[in-house]
Amino acid sequence: MSARDHASYRDDVGAYLLGALTDLERQAFERHLAGCPECRDELERLHPAAASLPRSVEQVEPPPGLKTSLMELVEREARERSSLPAPRRRRRLSLPRLAFARPLIAGVALALGVVAGIVLADKGTRTEVATVDERRVPGASARLQIEGDGENGAILRVQGMPSLARGRVYQAWVQRDGRIVPQPTFEVGQRGGGAVAIPDDVHDADAVMVTREPRGGSRAPSERPLLMVPL
Amino acid sequence: MAADIRNLADEEVMQLVGDGNAQAFEVLYDRHGGAAYSLAYRMVGNRLTAEDITQEGFLSIWRSRLRYDPARGSVRTWVLGIVHNRAIDAVRHGAMHERRRQAIAGVEERHEAPERTEVEAARREEARSVRTALDALPDDQRRPIELAYFGGYSHSQIAELLDEPIGTVKGRIRLGLHKLRRQLAERSAAGGFA
Repeated sequence: MSARDHASYRDDVGAYLLGALTDLERQAFERHLAGCPECRDELERLHPAAASLPRSVEQVEPPPGLKTSLMELVEREARERSSLPAPRRRRRLSLPRLAFARPLIAGVALALGVVAGIVLADKGTRTEVATVDERRVPGASARLQIEGDGENGAILRVQGMPSLARGRVYQAWVQRDGRIVPQPTFEVGQRGGGAVAIPDDVHDADAVMVTREPRGGSRAPSERPLLMVPL
Repeated sequence: MAADIRNLADEEVMQLVGDGNAQAFEVLYDRHGGAAYSLAYRMVGNRLTAEDITQEGFLSIWRSRLRYDPARGSVRTWVLGIVHNRAIDAVRHGAMHERRRQAIAGVEERHEAPERTEVEAARREEARSVRTALDALPDDQRRPIELAYFGGYSHSQIAELLDEPIGTVKGRIRLGLHKLRRQLAERSAAGGFA
């Protein structure tokens, strides 16, 4: 990396922490971050200042109805969960020990995403079929094509997925050893078809899943998976 | 409600929430729902939207069984980060900017939370302390920070609003955060807040 590279990215650290970069700039910055210890140090230094901002707001009272409606939903769902008969399925669908993925990891995943599409080509593949949440994405299906033992990632192909509102995208995730690792985001065409390269090694992964996230992707899933490929 | 859960530390409560324990979730909401709603309200300036954002944020924690990692900061910081992301999404993709301007102009009535417990009083003190540190920044550093974090504006929008070059805006945000960090560290060392 040249000194000029670093200088041109140095001022991005603050804007990155506050979410003020555009998606493209954020991705470029994360790629730079992966190879720049100075910017990583700066990020760590400034993180407490950014984290203090939400604590500066004047405290206002939430309406009591908010808690009531939230708890009604949560208690109903807790009852439904406890009456589910298949423990294996429940285990598969739970997201244990989510790692709060560092921006660096997301950056590396994004950088690898570019490579994966090229790496996966023609060797013998196996296909795994996804379990779909029929209530939220009725009629959708997905297949995960894994080349060899999956060390070079995989390709997830979806069909029948609804188009999302502006500013929303689908994002893939890999679950491994109780951690959820962010993968690239993707969109679907008018007929609901789409594909995304999963750059992560999936040979020892527990599952690959998909959620809806804000454009640019998230560091952690913000909803239950819409579909999941158990591995 | 198991009084036992109320006596647990945030980190232990989060373990139970991850296991699908609704009572633990209620404790999580009681502890951080107010701060989350306050942040959402500060950002969107509208009670109904702030309610929606807070509800969506907490439901996402519950439904996706998001696991909290203590290495990444306190539970409160984590919860507020989730709500902040939702609010950014709302202000960027809705008509929130206009609503917020109206709210800033005083259209929305205020509904300040009463100080009921020692914890709430401590949070108010903390908020005052961070606000004082923020207010102590030069205007040209504080404004872009507030527009970015609370307004959800991109740096190019901020550059346009403030009529400054983009590079200048980014540089001032970084310098302002440095200064804020130093001030908070000094206050913390002086016993301001942990």
